[in-house]
Amino acid sequence: MAPKAIGSPVPDAWYPTLSVFTLAIGLVLTAFFFIYEATTSRKTRSLAQELTTAAVASFFLGFGSLFLLLASGVYV
Amino acid sequence: MHRCNLRLKRVREVRWLRLVGSPLRLGLLKLRENRIMTTTTTTTMTSRRRRRLDLLLFLSVFTFAILLSPALSSSSDTDLIILSKVDRRVDLSTQIVRITTSLKVENTGSDPVSEILVSIPDMQGKHLAYLKAALREGKGKGKASGVGLPINVAQLKDAPPALTLYSVSLPKGLGKGESLNLDVLTVFTHVLEPFPQKITQADIQLLVFQDSAYYLSPYTVKAQSLTIKLPDARIESYTKLETTKLQGSELKYGPYENLPPFSYLPIVVHFENNHPFAVAKELVREIEISHWGNVQITEHYSLVHGGAQSEGEFSRLDYQARPYVRGASAFRSLVAKLPPRAHSVYYRDEIGNISTSNLWGDSKKTQLEIEPRYPMFGGWKTEFTIGYGLPLQDFLFGSDGKRFLNITFGSPMNELVIDTLFVKVVLPEGSKEISASVPFPVKQWQETKISHLNIAGRPVIVLEKSNVVPEHNEYFQVYYKFNSLSMLREPLMLISGFFFLFVAYIVYMRADLSISKSSASYLANLQWEEVQATVQQLHNIISRCLKTHDKLEASLRDLSRTGDVQACKATRKSVDTLLKELSKELKPLVAFLQSSPQASQVFPKVEELVVKEKDLQERVMAKHSTVVDCYEKKLGGREIENRVASHQQKITALRQEVDDLMDIIDEI
Repeated sequence: MAPKAIGSPVPDAWYPTLSVFTLAIGLVLTAFFFIYEATTSRKTRSLAQELTTAAVASFFLGFGSLFLLLASGVYV
Repeated sequence: MHRCNLRLKRVREVRWLRLVGSPLRLGLLKLRENRIMTTTTTTTMTSRRRRRLDLLLFLSVFTFAILLSPALSSSSDTDLIILSKVDRRVDLSTQIVRITTSLKVENTGSDPVSEILVSIPDMQGKHLAYLKAALREGKGKGKASGVGLPINVAQLKDAPPALTLYSVSLPKGLGKGESLNLDVLTVFTHVLEPFPQKITQADIQLLVFQDSAYYLSPYTVKAQSLTIKLPDARIESYTKLETTKLQGSELKYGPYENLPPFSYLPIVVHFENNHPFAVAKELVREIEISHWGNVQITEHYSLVHGGAQSEGEFSRLDYQARPYVRGASAFRSLVAKLPPRAHSVYYRDEIGNISTSNLWGDSKKTQLEIEPRYPMFGGWKTEFTIGYGLPLQDFLFGSDGKRFLNITFGSPMNELVIDTLFVKVVLPEGSKEISASVPFPVKQWQETKISHLNIAGRPVIVLEKSNVVPEHNEYFQVYYKFNSLSMLREPLMLISGFFFLFVAYIVYMRADLSISKSSASYLANLQWEEVQATVQQLHNIISRCLKTHDKLEASLRDLSRTGDVQACKATRKSVDTLLKELSKELKPLVAFLQSSPQASQVFPKVEELVVKEKDLQERVMAKHSTVVDCYEKKLGGREIENRVASHQQKITALRQEVDDLMDIIDEI
């Protein structure tokens, strides 16, 4: 079998755009999380909703910051 | 005066040689006499220097003579082969000495021969950096095939002790009477001795090269010649034999014919060479692979000017005014040839960025010209780091479930000698079964390196090689196994980091951090929170009630469209039970709010809401019953509208009020 070149799963040129969008989504979800935390009382808060929002927000923030690192030349 | 000195010394030497008593050495002395004649005609050197040079030459001649003495008997094995033609080209234009020897080998014996011996004197041998032998196809100046033949160190009984023999294995045996062409390339470093060893800023750099005019071989050589290519500069002196010719910057010795094995005739060339003598005492090349699309190369150089040592003070003013006269031996810049598509190139040292660098590139290469912080004179040192990124797909390949990096071994700098080279290949975390394949022997071991977003550290394979020349810039491979899912380690770390922050905040919001659990304000706060929660629940229940009202209305609309009275009744039944449950749930909440002192302000509104909602509910039910009744009696559309009209008016007004109250309560 002839050797095949291995490249990045995402083209390098996309990193800046990807990081802007994923970070934007992540930050909006973070804002939603904190608004929810601030506006509900201790009795009426739903743990499931908090955790889901936190998980989705951290997913987008995580990938966003990874793409930010890659776009700025810190190849992890 | 000089002549007198020299003559005196010669007399001393002759006496000494008579003591040793060898006819061969007397021949050498004759040779030296010639050389002395040439040196005395040059006038640039001081007498002190000249005396030292003579001594040096004498000592070197002496060593060669020792080397030569026991070599004149040959074994039967080497008798079979003769070298019918030997052409040697010595390239002295840079600090690296490259000797290309073209051999025409003939087998005169009856048995086929599979190995050919190449000998290198130890004096040069200890500086041997690279040795390659390749077959040359076709007659005359055919093209040498790129593939090197396997070479091993060999022993020969009768060989002189100060020789190292290498045996070149031929791909197929050389039969009786057959001949072949063999190209042998040998590369030496640190062979050119600066003489004088110390020079001032204004001096030029002079070097001494010693070799044999005859090709030193365990075989009989029929015809041979030697060409020495010198840089385009002054030639101070050279050994003059009968057959020596100087053409431009090329020095020719020979042709010589029918010489026995291990023939040796020392020659010495003393010449000017101001090419950069850049020697990297140590070079650490770090190649870091990121599967996110980059191969990062960082090279730490610890450089020294390996030529004649600089003596006396350095005048920047002189150097600046006439750099090629007052600083001829210094070099001010180095050129590195980086692979194409190199990006993010930097050149820095401990202080910070060094701005004196230039970069330009095309589709085939990227060229980086760097200037050290100061001109490099003999013996001066500098340390710096260059780094660059390369696209991953140019260097990383996959085959048979394994991945391998394919990249060049040596430094990208032009004509750089590296005393010790460490190549560290940093693989991504999670790589397994690592192995390296290098086309020449290297020392290798493994390490780990902790870098960005690593837990266990990245596996590093270290390759160490000493005495590296540009010829070692061959491709080497590092094979490893890697699961693509391991790439998700870094993002998962980031994600879990963020998630941890969120969880911490959730925990903080749920934790009760007040110190005094019995203070009035704390208790009031607690009660107020309870009231808030109750009002919230109440709000939820009422909004569910309103939704069921909507459901009833919808069923009425369905009725007017389809006329299905049974379906409408069924909906009414389910709505009835649902509303009953909801009112049951509502009762304790209202009771709690009534009893709670904290809710005294809110309660009137809540009560009003509950009453109005009840009213609304009744009206809706009444309307529903009326309409269903009418349908059962099969009354006309106008009749129904008349009967319902009063209900409808009331419902609309009540619904408006209830909605307003809901908004007010929602804000609490």
